[in-house]
Amino acid sequence: MKNFTSLLAASAFALLVAALSTATHAAERIIVTEFKDALGFLKPVPVNVSGFTGEADSVLKNDLLFMGVQHVPLDQAQYLITGSAAGRVEGRLTDKPTKGIMLNKAYSGGSTRQQIHAFADDIAKALTGLPGIAQTKMAFKAEKGPGRSEIYIADFDGFGAQAVTSDNNIVSDPEWRGRDMLVYSSYKLGGPHIFSHHLTSGARNPVARHPGGNYSPGVSPDGSKVAMILSKGGSPDLYVANIDGSGLRQLTKTRESESSPCWSPDGKKICYGSRERGATLLFTISAAGGTPRLLSTSGAPTPTEPDWSPDGKWIAFTSQTRSGFNICIVPAGGGEAIVLVDGEDPSWAPNSRAILFCRGRDHAKQLSLLDVPTKQVKTLGRILESNSQPSWAK
Amino acid sequence: MKLAKSVYLLTVALTLSATLVGCKKGLDKTTSIPGGRNAAIADSGPTQPRDIDRGGIIPPFNPGGNNPGGNNVTGVPGFDPTKGDAGIGQAKGDFTGWIENPDEFANQTVYFEFDKSNVKPSEVGKLEEVAKKMKDAFKGKALRIEGHCDERGTEEYNRALGDRRALSVREKLVQLGLDPEMLPTITYGEEKPADPGHDDAAWRKNRRGQLILLSPPGSN
Repeated sequence: MKNFTSLLAASAFALLVAALSTATHAAERIIVTEFKDALGFLKPVPVNVSGFTGEADSVLKNDLLFMGVQHVPLDQAQYLITGSAAGRVEGRLTDKPTKGIMLNKAYSGGSTRQQIHAFADDIAKALTGLPGIAQTKMAFKAEKGPGRSEIYIADFDGFGAQAVTSDNNIVSDPEWRGRDMLVYSSYKLGGPHIFSHHLTSGARNPVARHPGGNYSPGVSPDGSKVAMILSKGGSPDLYVANIDGSGLRQLTKTRESESSPCWSPDGKKICYGSRERGATLLFTISAAGGTPRLLSTSGAPTPTEPDWSPDGKWIAFTSQTRSGFNICIVPAGGGEAIVLVDGEDPSWAPNSRAILFCRGRDHAKQLSLLDVPTKQVKTLGRILESNSQPSWAK
Repeated sequence: MKLAKSVYLLTVALTLSATLVGCKKGLDKTTSIPGGRNAAIADSGPTQPRDIDRGGIIPPFNPGGNNPGGNNVTGVPGFDPTKGDAGIGQAKGDFTGWIENPDEFANQTVYFEFDKSNVKPSEVGKLEEVAKKMKDAFKGKALRIEGHCDERGTEEYNRALGDRRALSVREKLVQLGLDPEMLPTITYGEEKPADPGHDDAAWRKNRRGQLILLSPPGSN
C-alpha cells in the first residue's frame, strides 16, 4: 500500500514537472527573437478559433487580430481556442502540440460582446504578454455637415458610439485624460477654445481661452499637463499649461505655424509639426522648453499629426504626397520612415501594435483599425456624415 | 520520517490530480464583467450632453487667480514673452454681440497659394480698399478676419495654417494703419469650404481670408 502510494505520488510529481516545463517553454518561445519581425513587432500567433458563431465569433477574431493573434486553418494553428457563447461565454486556450491548457474560463455579467472582449484580452495576455485592448474606448470627431460636428466615444471597434457633446458647432481633436475625461477644442464660444470635459458629470472647464486660436490639445501621459497651439502672441506657437490652464509656458516662437503636439510616454518630450523651415517637418522639444530637434522622417514627405507609441519606440504620423495621405511610422529618434497604408491622423493603441486612423475625402471620412506589423485594416461603421481625429484611450 | 515524506508526496499528488481534473472538466474561474454597456463612463447611465452656455459650467478663465485674459505666460530662456511674439499680439476685446456683416467686404476676400500663408502682392489692393473704408466710413467698427484652407492638408495642420493666414491679413491691415485691437481673428481650417468640390477650382476658392465687418451692439 505504502509502495503504491509512493509510486502514485512519484508519477504525479513527474507529470507536474513535465507540465511546468511545458508552460515555461511556451512562455519563453513567445519572447525569443525568432517570433518577432524585422521591426521588432511580435509575429501574429497562429490560432484556430472554433465553437463560437455569429457576432461572438467575428468579434473574437477581430479583437485577436489587433492584438497579434491571428485565426488560421486548424492545420496551421499553434494554439486552439474553443468554447461557446451560449448563455454565457466560456472559453479555453490550448497549446496544440502539447495539449496543455493555458486558459479555461467563464464570463458573467455585461453583454455577450463584453464577455467576448474580456476573453480576447485574457487570450492576448496569455499568448503575447501585452496588455489587452479589446475592452478599451476611443473618442472621435463626428461631422453632421461642414461646420457642425460633435465629439463621440465608442468601443475601440466602433461599437456602441455615443455623443459626448451636443453643441451643434465645430469641435475638434478629442484627447483622453485617463478614462473619464476628454480634452478637445470647441468653437461654441468663438475661439476656438480648449475645454476639459468630465464624462461622468458632464462638467466642462476651460483649459485655454486666450485671445486668438486655442487648439490641438495633447494631454501628458500622467494627465497633469496639456500641450497645445495658441496664437495669442500673434502666431500659432506651441505652449504647455497645467490641466486647469494655470502655469502657461511658451515653448516655441516662430513666425510660421506649429501644430499637433503629442507627448513621449515618459512625459519628458513633446513632438509636433512646424513650418519653421518652410516645408512642414516634425520636431521634438523638451516639455520643460529648450532647443527643438528635427525628427527625420526619410521617405515620408510633409509629416504632420505625430503620435508617440506607448512603449516609446515609434512615432506614427501622417505623410502627405501628391496622391494623398499615408499613415507612417518612424523610430522615435528619427530615421527611415515606414509607409503603412493610405489614411490620416493615427492614434496608437495601448499595446503599441494597433492604430486607429481615418481615411476618405473631407466631410466623408471613415475610421479604420490597422494592425501595424501585418498592415491589415478593418474599416469601422460611420456615425453621421464624417468621422475623423480618433483618439485611443490609453 | 519516511512516512512523513510519503504523506507529503501524497498531498502533492492529490492536489495535482485535482488541478488536472479541474482543468479538463471544470473552469479555472469565472470573470465577472463590471458595469453596463459603457463601464468607462461610470454607471450613472449615458453621458448627458450639456449646453456649455447653461448652468455656469464654464467658470471665468482665471488660472492662478490673476490676469483674466490669461496672459500670465512663463517664457523659455532666450526670449521675453512680455515683448510679444513673432507677430502682433491678438485683439483682447470681446466682440460677442457685435452685429456681423459678411457682405460688405465679400469682394475683398483674400486668396492664398497652396500651403502658403503670405498675402500675395496681387491681393494687397483689396486690403488697401478695406483699410481706407475702415478708417473712414466704418470708423469705430471692428473687422473679424476668418482664415480658411482647402482640404489638402490634415485637419489640425490646416487649423494652424488658417490661423496663420488670418494673422497675415491682420498684419497687413495693421501696416495699413488699422488698430490691431479692432482686428480679431479666427481660424476655421478646412471646416467651412466656400466650394464643396474636390478639384483645383474649388480649392482655389477655399484658400482664403474672409473679412466680416463688426458693428457695436445698437449701431447700424
